[in-house]
Amino acid sequence: MAEAGNYGSRYPYFYGPEGRLVLVDSALEAVRRGSTTIGIKTPSFALLASHIKPVRQLIDPAEKIFVIDGHVGATGSGYIGDILQLIEELRLEAQKHRLNFESPIDVGSLAKHLGSFLHNYTIYAVRPQAASVIVAGVDQTGLQLYQVDPSGTFMRGSGFAIGQSSDIALDVIQHDYSGDMSVDQAVALSNKAIEKALGERPVVEVGVITTQDKQFQKLR
Amino acid sequence: MTTIVGIKTKEGVVLGSDKRASKGFFIGSKITQKIAKIDDTLAVAIAGQLSDAEYLIKVSKAERKLIELRRGFPLTVKESARLIANLAYSGMKNYQPYFVELLVAGVDQEGGHIFAADMSGAITSEDFASSGSGSPIAYGVLESTYHKEITNEEAKQIATKAVSAAMERDPGSGNGIDVLVIPNLVLEVAA
Repeated sequence: MAEAGNYGSRYPYFYGPEGRLVLVDSALEAVRRGSTTIGIKTPSFALLASHIKPVRQLIDPAEKIFVIDGHVGATGSGYIGDILQLIEELRLEAQKHRLNFESPIDVGSLAKHLGSFLHNYTIYAVRPQAASVIVAGVDQTGLQLYQVDPSGTFMRGSGFAIGQSSDIALDVIQHDYSGDMSVDQAVALSNKAIEKALGERPVVEVGVITTQDKQFQKLR
Repeated sequence: MTTIVGIKTKEGVVLGSDKRASKGFFIGSKITQKIAKIDDTLAVAIAGQLSDAEYLIKVSKAERKLIELRRGFPLTVKESARLIANLAYSGMKNYQPYFVELLVAGVDQEGGHIFAADMSGAITSEDFASSGSGSPIAYGVLESTYHKEITNEEAKQIATKAVSAAMERDPGSGNGIDVLVIPNLVLEVAA
């Protein structure tokens, strides 16, 4: 046990010398380089916004806001391929719930499922998924907004930012957040947050769900 | 064999049953409990193979508790009925059906609900329902006395009347009546 420090370099998928999971930290680092992505929740609606990185003229940009089920939407930051796989996992779980219980799944259960799905990648010698996901929806308990990270951690809240310069974006949201803003104001706020984070006028994809129609819809 | 009835009211749900367990032409038990409480808001009335029903109830009780703990709020009555029906359906598809006909009765945020679930895995939502060998007789009473504005107290009397009518003429039912009332949830009112 005297050479415990060496194990870190021999088995990179286990704990590093500081007691951190090296691969999970790397996955989080990959997410930090992803496109800036935001989730905002007020008492009457929840909004997802994701920066779309400029691509070449003839290539269509990738879709970043996803409908999971009628009442739930999600977006992510990190490797697109990993995000898509997690989105598929969420959609599958939502339909499984409909099959088993004949009712729409609650957002908390979705976040929890995604958390344990991701956690599974942290206990074996495999590559953890380099994607954080923000889930928004309306269920029996009302409006819900969750963030799920590659470590399997999931958080409930009213404002999240992930991806490139997410700290700056989150600061902007925290500063300007108000419970009684309108959808348009929230869209403007997310635009402002992403603009501040990136230092340029961004192309942003937005999705919204309100307590009135309870359907997740992509804007534009 | 057996007579069970379930009635949905404005104030909740009411279940009634007889107490006879038949072993062919012999009365196997005179004090059988055919109404099983899953928890304070849900109960199941059993007609058919008791062992099969007990197993289904045990599994769905555990499943319901687990889901409530995981997601933080309980299953609705419909979700619970669908859960039980899916178990029954998988039994049927595996050529080992659960020989049961169940009345799933309970209350949730929307009020009282009665579902009839059988071994085929089908569920139907009903205002009132009856099952077992005595059900044709019980239905005669239910059809002529049920109305939409019924109270729990009235439903208790109708359930008792329906089961006792069945016990008079159905040899598979008898030896007394059990009744269970589940009142609606007291919903929190914003002060």
